[in-house]
Amino acid sequence: MAKIVLTGYCDRFSVKPGEDISFMVSAEGTKTAEVQLVRLIHGDENPEGPGFIEKEVDGPIDGSHSVRKQHTQAGSFARIDDPDTRLALGQAFTLWAMIWPTTPEKGRQGILARWSITHDRGYALGINGDGQLEFWVGDGKKTDAVHAEVPLRPRQWYLVAVSYDPKSGQATLYQERVETRYGNLLSKITPLDMNSHVTEALRIRPADAELDFLMAGCHDHNADRGDFIGQLYNGKIDRCGVVGRAMSRADLDAMLQEVTQPADVIAHWDTSEGYSDKGIGDDIVDTGPNKLHGRGHNRPVRGATGYNWNGRDDCFRLAPHQFGGVWFHDDSMLDCQWKATFSMTLPDLKSGVYAARLQAGDTIEHLPFFVRPKKPGSAIAMLIPTCSYLAYANDRLGLEFPTSQLVSAHVPVFHEWDIELSKHPEYASSTYDTYSDGAGVCYSSRLRPIFNMRPKHRMAGTAVAWQFPADMSIIYWLETKGYDYDVITDEDLHREGKDCLSPYQVVINGTHAEYYSERMLDATEDYLAEGGRVMYLSGNGYYWAVSFREDDLSCMEVRKLDSGSRAWQALPGEHYMASNGERSGIWRNRGRPPQKIVGTGFTSEGMDESKPYRRMPDSYHKSVAWIFEGVEEELIGDFGLAAGGAAGIEIDRYDLTLGTPPHTRILASSEGHSDSYPRVSEEIAFNFPGQGGTQHYHIRADMTYFTTLNNGAVWSPSSIAWGQALPWNNGDNNVSRVMANVLDAFAKPGPLPGAEYHAEEKHWK
Amino acid sequence: MAIDKQSQHSAPSRSLVGDRGWLPRIRLAGQRSLTRYRIPFTRRTWFQGHAVVNPRDLTRQYKLDDKRPWFWIGGLIAALIIPILVGTNLALTAATTFALYAAINLMWMLVIGTAGIFSLATLAVVGASAYLAAWFSIEFGITWPVMLLLGTLVGLLFGAIIGLPALRIDGLYFALLTMGVVELCRVYVLQSRTFGSATGGLYGADTFIPVAWQLKTPGLILGYVAAFAVMLAMLGIYRLVNGQRLGLLLATARESEATAEALGINYQRARFTVFLISSAGLGFIGGFYATYFKGASPSLFSIDQVMLLFAMIVIGGLGRAEGAVVGTGVVVVLDKMFTEFGPIRFIVIGLIMLGVTLFARNGLFGIRDQFVEFRNKKKSERRSGRTEKGGEPLPEEATEIRDKDQIYFRRFDKRLRDHLKTLVTPEVIEEHRLKPLGQHSDPLERVLNYFRGAGGENKYVLYELKANTEYKIIVTTGEKGIPPRDVDSTIYTSKNEALHAVFLKRVQDLMDS
Repeated sequence: MAKIVLTGYCDRFSVKPGEDISFMVSAEGTKTAEVQLVRLIHGDENPEGPGFIEKEVDGPIDGSHSVRKQHTQAGSFARIDDPDTRLALGQAFTLWAMIWPTTPEKGRQGILARWSITHDRGYALGINGDGQLEFWVGDGKKTDAVHAEVPLRPRQWYLVAVSYDPKSGQATLYQERVETRYGNLLSKITPLDMNSHVTEALRIRPADAELDFLMAGCHDHNADRGDFIGQLYNGKIDRCGVVGRAMSRADLDAMLQEVTQPADVIAHWDTSEGYSDKGIGDDIVDTGPNKLHGRGHNRPVRGATGYNWNGRDDCFRLAPHQFGGVWFHDDSMLDCQWKATFSMTLPDLKSGVYAARLQAGDTIEHLPFFVRPKKPGSAIAMLIPTCSYLAYANDRLGLEFPTSQLVSAHVPVFHEWDIELSKHPEYASSTYDTYSDGAGVCYSSRLRPIFNMRPKHRMAGTAVAWQFPADMSIIYWLETKGYDYDVITDEDLHREGKDCLSPYQVVINGTHAEYYSERMLDATEDYLAEGGRVMYLSGNGYYWAVSFREDDLSCMEVRKLDSGSRAWQALPGEHYMASNGERSGIWRNRGRPPQKIVGTGFTSEGMDESKPYRRMPDSYHKSVAWIFEGVEEELIGDFGLAAGGAAGIEIDRYDLTLGTPPHTRILASSEGHSDSYPRVSEEIAFNFPGQGGTQHYHIRADMTYFTTLNNGAVWSPSSIAWGQALPWNNGDNNVSRVMANVLDAFAKPGPLPGAEYHAEEKHWK
Repeated sequence: MAIDKQSQHSAPSRSLVGDRGWLPRIRLAGQRSLTRYRIPFTRRTWFQGHAVVNPRDLTRQYKLDDKRPWFWIGGLIAALIIPILVGTNLALTAATTFALYAAINLMWMLVIGTAGIFSLATLAVVGASAYLAAWFSIEFGITWPVMLLLGTLVGLLFGAIIGLPALRIDGLYFALLTMGVVELCRVYVLQSRTFGSATGGLYGADTFIPVAWQLKTPGLILGYVAAFAVMLAMLGIYRLVNGQRLGLLLATARESEATAEALGINYQRARFTVFLISSAGLGFIGGFYATYFKGASPSLFSIDQVMLLFAMIVIGGLGRAEGAVVGTGVVVVLDKMFTEFGPIRFIVIGLIMLGVTLFARNGLFGIRDQFVEFRNKKKSERRSGRTEKGGEPLPEEATEIRDKDQIYFRRFDKRLRDHLKTLVTPEVIEEHRLKPLGQHSDPLERVLNYFRGAGGENKYVLYELKANTEYKIIVTTGEKGIPPRDVDSTIYTSKNEALHAVFLKRVQDLMDS
């Protein structure tokens, strides 16, 4: 029997009773799956904890559902809206484009094409199997082509064109390097002749492909899958167009000097048109008479530096016409667009973490989602860091970046799901990966199966539960301790702002709330200023500046800039997010270090061994000593499900120079970290030896506490491993005790305990 | 420091490398408009070449995909012009003989090489056609164009008769049979009055050479040009048959008859077709022979002529058109141009044949490939003798590495490994066993950092079969989308035990390197 594979996703992360939610499932090896609604309690199978716990809940989706394999179109491309088929092009024509290819050697790629791969019909200007510019035509039986003399070089700007006259069959290719000191990989001093001008009389005349004109791809078909787009192009396309006559060499030379709308224009795509201060959408505007606008699929990266970027204006908002680059990636994927397998109107469920559990044979799959209350009723909100889930969604670090073992200081431990994921590039990668052409993945969406947002999942590189399954340890603890809590998500916070937090006395962060939008940061800051309370359970939280399009919260954008612990680095001039025009990078470099809001910020990471905290002298002050009530030990958290301690994986530190409030106390600090915990790169101006845990005192997690306006407060253990120490010994441990002391106090309205101990110290001893 | 000392004594012996480019490079600036003209009715262009970027100086230069067409054109033009320029009767006669023999050899090669039929009756077909064409011309006064046609028909018929047994009997027996046919023909014409037993041949047929030019230089030139045209026609036939569908079918059959049959190729029929085509060609040559010499002579059927033709093919290289032509040229020049040396020239031809058979795998035209192969073999022998596995590349190897960064990496990596080997002690291994994760002693940390930083190709990692209780070691491939593979079936029951097993494997690889 074939192995059964089940996977899928929900159309939303969070849902309230009475709202609809749909589940998209793809299956192999089975035609039906048993579905059961479950409430998830714990997701880490570490034997030192309680193990995986779920509770079956009656739900309208329960029962047997028929399932089938669903296909996914990967790769970004643009489809041109051409209702009058003006681009069928029976007459003489010219196709031209400013291009910056990234993988010319990768095989056939369509740049401007109305080409059916299956039927050999139509025409295309693209790249052939030898990496050369090629114009090919087909009449449905035979094909013919003319190619340039030399292969295209990666990451160089070219004006490429073909002038074709079907009467004579003459096709002339035009390939001229665009001279720019900034955008090209190679300077003009490199003695490499990249130009080519070739004329050949083709024997075949193109037949009408009767399909859409595409940028960056060609039409393909397969009996199992149906129509799809193949021969996808990697690289940028800037200004491009179609002209209704065979342009001469001189005409094109003039275009190389300055792009203008030529006479007899059929389509003139000004890729820099339609930009706003608030971002760029998917539409590619035709400024010609026929208005043959294009629309990007799988979100081509807009606002990339163009052929005419002068290097001085470093943002598309400053000089849109210099940022006409549309960067296509053949493995970008934002929405699987699967058909809903089953849906429900959510019944009256208690707020929490739920999942549709699918089962067929021995195969079990969970599709988690988060249930918010109809109306906020609890004092406690658990803020699920869904932005960070997106950032890490389907990371392929363990398999594809072998040297990440230096970061984790651990031999990776793989599982079935890692191997399965490696077979599915179409499920796209995380913002820790690169697209197939080497550019960093800057978009991540939730409309796809996310293999690491599942209970029981462990990250291969670190061999511990990470993000979602790690946050389940906090959920387990809240459940076990009997707290009444609501679950909210980053997406809700971004959409609703401060109103999402205001109903709650206290908000608990997840283990790794690393990715924050400006609105989320503003809301948290305003909430705290108005007396809100935050338990910052993250290590390396509030770190990367991310954005969403106003009309689409399913897809998050981030650009990794010149600083911070980054898996890649955006190119010069591409530091601003196309989603909303904001600069990305780390918040610290935008003037908002996390210390300003939660007292601590990223200082180090390592995955070999986590350590305990040791109480600091300040913790004995009566204003904060209540936090340690019932704790006898000096050492807190010398145990845990994340590498054996409560302080570790990623850890944060107090720093007055970065805006830690001056009255902040360091209650406890971790110690004894290994040299596999080095200082983070944003701390290092000059690099020198001695940055590791055994030599540098900055390598520590600080547990801090400070009060804000209106009885607000922030308590920060500042370590990813903290949350995963809570379930140890079934929740009976000193980490749990400290956590409970803080949560109990924070959940009560009114003045905080110890607030009265503000007088000057009168020492006798 | 220890590292420096090691590097000194392991420095490989180096010699200067680099080749001067003697031939001028064809360049064409990308700026220039280039028109690729096509051969009519095909998608091929006349100039079969492409631009390459010379990795040493980034010059764009043109490289011909196949230089042979140009050698053919040059060689054929020279072969046509030189005898005419020399202009002596001897040279022109020899050149005509060359052209005719070359034409015969090309057809013969279709039989032996393409069809794989070992027929020695080649000359017999030519002879039979020549005799019959001459006889008809003398008896019935047919003109020379009709003689050509008649020769072709006779060749076709003759070919059909002797070709049929080839379908039934193989190799040596068929060769003997055809030899018998040749001898039969010779004895027949020697004794037949009709075919001129009295006059030592049959003469008096029509000729295409005007009466006034006969036995004069213009006549000889015309004869040569005509013979040359016949050779060109045979070259065309050879190329059409050998290079197209029939030839490809038979090439498959030569590899394996069973495979060919399995593919539905009727190779016996293809062989017979090729045999008929070549026989018709030979018949045409026979007709031409009769009109050129105004008759036919019994020497056409002599075994020594067959052997001389065979020598031409062997010297040139079987299965190549250029071999047949040049081999013919060599033998004819020796045979006809150096008659003053007497029979010694046959010994020279024999010696050349012997030399080619002993030292060249496939005639004169196989020498180049053989030489390149020999050079590559010597190159790898020399390199393996001078380099150390995983060590610094030799200058000649370095020229072949695109990313020069890798050259330094190999030097650095070698030294680092040599140093790390000295750090691996039983104490270090025991330290790791007791505590695979967390802070270690300085030597162990250095060794571990080296392991962690290694590339993804053949890197040991773990696979968790059952949560917390079953682990195995797997190896990553370092290639995107290609999953890791198994190493062995050992199951480790705890993560620390598995981590240490990976460590031991990595140590083993380090010490073995």
